[in-house]
Amino acid sequence: MSFRVAADIGGTFTDVAVADSEGKLHTFKLKSTPHDYSEAVFDGIQAAAGLAGVEISSFDQILHTCTVATNAILENKGARTALVTTKGFRDVLELRRIRVPRLYEPLYIKPRPLVPRRYRYEIPERIDAAGNVITPIDENAIADLIDKLQVESFEAIAICFINAYVNADNEQLIGRRIQDSFPECFVTLSSDVLPQIREYERTSSTVINGYVGPPVRRYLGSLKDKLEAAGVQSQIMVMRSGGGLCDLEAAMNGPAHIVECGPAAGVIGAARHGARCGLDRLLTLDMGGTTAKASIVEFGEVQRAEDFEVGGGISLSGPLVMGGGYALKIPVVDVAEVGAGGGSIVHLDAGGLIRVGPESAGATPGPICYGNGGDKVTVTDANVVLGYLNPTAMASGRVRINGALSRSQISEQIANPLNQSDLASAYGIHVVANALMMRAIKTVSTYRGRDPRDFSLLAFGGCGGVHAVGLAQALGMREVVIPPAAGIFSALGLLLADIEIEHSSAFLARTHDIKLATLTQAIRRLEEKVLVELHRDRSHISFERYLDMRFVGQAYELSVPLPDHEINQADIDGLSNAFVASHVSTYGHAGEGKNAVQAVTLRVKGIALLPELEEFKQKQLTLVRNSDPQFSQRDRAVYFGPVLGEVKTPIIDRSDLDIRSRTGPFVIEESECTSLVPPDCSAALDEYGNIRIEVKAS
Amino acid sequence: MSDNVGVSKRVDPIQLEVLKNAFETIADEMAVIILRTSHSSIVRDSMDFSTALCDHNGQTLAQGLTNPGHLGSFYDAMRRLITQYGDNVQDGDLFIANDPYEANGMHLPDIYIIKPIFSDQIVAGWAVTLAHQCDVGGLVPGSNSLGSTEIYQEGLRLPFVKVFSAGQRIDSVWDIIKLNVRLPDKLIGDLDAQIAACSAGERGLKELIERYSLSVLFEYGKELHDYTEQLTRAEFEKIPDGTYSFSDHLDGLGADPEAIDIKVAITFSGNEVYIDWTGTSEQVKGGINATLPFTKAACFAALRSIMEVDVPTSYGFERAVKVFAPEGTLVNPSPPSACGSRAITGYRCIDCLFGALAQVVPERVTADSTGGSTLPTLAGWHDGKPFIYAETFMGVWGAAQNHDGQDGVPHMGANQSNTPIEMIEAEYPLRVERYGLVPDTGGAGKFRGGNSILREFRALVDETLLVVRSDKRTYPPHGLYGGSTGAPSWNIINQGDGDESILPATMTEPVYLQANDRFCHIMAGGGGYGSPLDRDPIDVLDDFLEGRITIGHALQIYGVVIDESTKPMIDQSATAEQRQRMRCG
Repeated sequence: MSFRVAADIGGTFTDVAVADSEGKLHTFKLKSTPHDYSEAVFDGIQAAAGLAGVEISSFDQILHTCTVATNAILENKGARTALVTTKGFRDVLELRRIRVPRLYEPLYIKPRPLVPRRYRYEIPERIDAAGNVITPIDENAIADLIDKLQVESFEAIAICFINAYVNADNEQLIGRRIQDSFPECFVTLSSDVLPQIREYERTSSTVINGYVGPPVRRYLGSLKDKLEAAGVQSQIMVMRSGGGLCDLEAAMNGPAHIVECGPAAGVIGAARHGARCGLDRLLTLDMGGTTAKASIVEFGEVQRAEDFEVGGGISLSGPLVMGGGYALKIPVVDVAEVGAGGGSIVHLDAGGLIRVGPESAGATPGPICYGNGGDKVTVTDANVVLGYLNPTAMASGRVRINGALSRSQISEQIANPLNQSDLASAYGIHVVANALMMRAIKTVSTYRGRDPRDFSLLAFGGCGGVHAVGLAQALGMREVVIPPAAGIFSALGLLLADIEIEHSSAFLARTHDIKLATLTQAIRRLEEKVLVELHRDRSHISFERYLDMRFVGQAYELSVPLPDHEINQADIDGLSNAFVASHVSTYGHAGEGKNAVQAVTLRVKGIALLPELEEFKQKQLTLVRNSDPQFSQRDRAVYFGPVLGEVKTPIIDRSDLDIRSRTGPFVIEESECTSLVPPDCSAALDEYGNIRIEVKAS
Repeated sequence: MSDNVGVSKRVDPIQLEVLKNAFETIADEMAVIILRTSHSSIVRDSMDFSTALCDHNGQTLAQGLTNPGHLGSFYDAMRRLITQYGDNVQDGDLFIANDPYEANGMHLPDIYIIKPIFSDQIVAGWAVTLAHQCDVGGLVPGSNSLGSTEIYQEGLRLPFVKVFSAGQRIDSVWDIIKLNVRLPDKLIGDLDAQIAACSAGERGLKELIERYSLSVLFEYGKELHDYTEQLTRAEFEKIPDGTYSFSDHLDGLGADPEAIDIKVAITFSGNEVYIDWTGTSEQVKGGINATLPFTKAACFAALRSIMEVDVPTSYGFERAVKVFAPEGTLVNPSPPSACGSRAITGYRCIDCLFGALAQVVPERVTADSTGGSTLPTLAGWHDGKPFIYAETFMGVWGAAQNHDGQDGVPHMGANQSNTPIEMIEAEYPLRVERYGLVPDTGGAGKFRGGNSILREFRALVDETLLVVRSDKRTYPPHGLYGGSTGAPSWNIINQGDGDESILPATMTEPVYLQANDRFCHIMAGGGGYGSPLDRDPIDVLDDFLEGRITIGHALQIYGVVIDESTKPMIDQSATAEQRQRMRCG
């Protein structure tokens, strides 16, 4: 028997799951420890090991997502970082792409550059668009630069030169010289981080890599030390934003890659779990305390985001409202996020409409019903008043709930001004939160030419199960799936994730000009890079190759997979058609389809083939339940909207369901998640432990 | 909450919020399709396009989050279309138009593609898109000729005509369009993107009809307009009644420019606003006349910017605003006046409105911004093919009551992006030599205006045509409440060996660059807010350390003495003396 453990750090809670090779799952949830996140991780791993009845030293692997990189950016606590640029381009980082995320806001203030202007150094050098060196680097200029850097004692130095995506020689030269002079410093090159066209996005990504590098190294180092001190020799693997696991060394060298690892883990969980259960088309809803996140999974494949910004607040319409954060153009699982979590604050606008978020009551004081001094109505308060959530306790009784407090404040802040009943108002809040989440789901579906009605909604996170059916109804979706361990689903995602590394390079050519030898060679080069980081030989790796293409003149590419076999001329001849097909399925048109097609970026992803993981992915998961304190009711009044009103509704356990369909209404209470099945819907438990809710059109 | 604000009792406020979100989602989805699939950089990078979902009357229910300069301009065009075609509209029709006079359009490069959305033989709504095309023919590549004196010189004029009729493609119209533009492939690519966006809008609205029924959508659409109007009027109500006037000037046209007056009077009266452009110069013989729909859009954009609440982008907003612009003037020209480059006038109108609004809501606006936008066109032949590089340069803002002007931001009238330098170099025979901020150029003040942005190009092939539209050289961005004006804008070329010369702000005649000649544009700096002598010396020191001002500027303009002998620091007593001297002097 072998054991693996996964630890997922969230803003409020750290979730831990232990799985044995037979698919038995033990879970544990505890408060995160922001002063040193590794504390809760270590304690959680120990507690979970206890539940599983094993020693922590017996874990084969420790899988991990952490918020250290994100927090460094959000809280402005990254490394003291310098940026070295081509002469004349010191301000690229600050000028960004000009656009701002808010229209009609003269008082808008841009995010401060992560590297202040005084720490951005220019050096005379230039490479042209074809890769020719126009201005070589002069030795005196290097000496001069090193002198300047010497004075400031930086922890990280990022280097980004114009056109370095076609020729990295100058960056590499400067990088070597700087690293030699400052061996302790974290030195990072744009040609390593993002060898792709567009100088702002590449500069910004490289700066982020430098900025989060030292804190990520410190954190992961400290976690490793703690575990080693306790006698744990297990391999530590970290999730990347693109949805693959990498080892500690790769995580420390490419720290920018772990910025969005938490949301990615949830989506990967959805993809792998969905594939095992034969759920081919999934829209995922991960609703936590602060935000709700939507993503799309088709036939086990996740979507990648084309544009991503970190620290941009909450993005409603993705590409239309860029500019509020820091561009990070590395592989990221596409997640649309809206400020509609359980803790999102509710208010009335000047026109008397209910507004939800994006402000959140956070962990402290939290919703009014927590009784920790919160005085602003939140979505959770509305859900408690409606009877959707237990009015006395949550999380196996560890969180006490005071439903009366919620009701009196909803009455005062919302119902009275609207001249509506408390219940109607609480229901209004619930529905408006759904309307916001609908936009997130549409961003990942209809915006990409996908019809939500062809999909099942897989809901997880602490609040997902309460909103899922209403949301599905609003979108015309017919099925909601609540997976096992929905409340700690991201930790489960870690257990199901592959070990993978991706590298990309610029590959600029019109498709009909691509030479077979050039493409094969470029693929080979990237595969070698991938192999080095995976520490495995070729026979244990499965490669996926992609070519990002566009019509000549377009600014955005679509990633088209290349065939699995050794590329031949026929494959190259078929590239344009493959691109046109992808364009039609994504945007609903390809014009007359006669325009020339251009390749821009080549990507190679290597996935480690691990027989034991493949076996685990096929295993039936059994969630081992810890003895929950008995706090639950047998039934309570639940409000299902103005037509049905309040209905006496049974409160049941997941294990009360079986493969026979049970007609609503009922509420399924579990220690980390609550799910709602309204009167006109029905639910059954499938062979994989999923609650499958059949949604009736409203 | 005042009593007259609020959703009418007839409708469910929650359903209204849900439908408002749904309309906005459709408009945004349309915008994403254009953004992702368009072919010319002015559409995809500058995002100079707009999308809207309109109700059956052609009134906007929601506008995509793209270009404020198009806000509120759709209804004029839609009214024209509906009047002209009446019942002669069928399912599967697709309309095109661009003419400012015959179709109430913006200027010729902005092409409308509009699709009626049917439900049971009834027009349920309209999917409307407008995109700035890279070329529609006319005197110069890019169709932004400043030297045009009549619209006939500006390119292909299209009244509302069908490009599809009941689903049938009208080939003859397409053939005419293709023959009249310089880069037909790009144009058709962008029109395809607009058509796809219209189809997405149609699909989205039909789904809503299926779910809610047409009568419910009509009812809630009407309610959304009313709600928006109420919200808008409540905001105006809070602003002290009175008339607030401001005068500004465009630098003028050509090598020997004559200032062009722009004059506005904004009257807040109860819950209404009246904007009067009387006193503005007569229409000019050049391509910068702003047609009335654009002038109105400028008014709407400026007023939205001072709102303290989020107001939906629905038509109801416009009902609380009356705009008057005398016919035959720069801001409401009579045909056949040229208007290809009218954006510069529209932006100046917004700046002028902010000047007036600063008198009544100084806490909600900034000192004057870069203006512009600067629009250089560099065009010629390379590898046997024509190329046209054009980009709208956006800049910096003036300072606000409590913070410095922002560097690297769009004009309030157009939320546009820059084109990446590497994209320019990969696509055109041009090299960018410098792109960055110029010290000492932001208007001084307690809060400093943004610094000028400089961009320098090197031509890589001979016979590269250059024309530039820019502004704010003779009349640079004003400061507020004791803040200084920002530095003026410049167009400089270096031909041959160091032979530097200054070009007009607005060129009515092109110049030709040879390989290795350089063109440098410096945008105007933002205006300052408050007296520079009130600026915190620590902020002045910080600006010096950041390379945003020089040590001499700190001394002469801010009265701050920086001691650079070791680690730069403020000489407190010398600063106090210097500031005292300057206050008296």
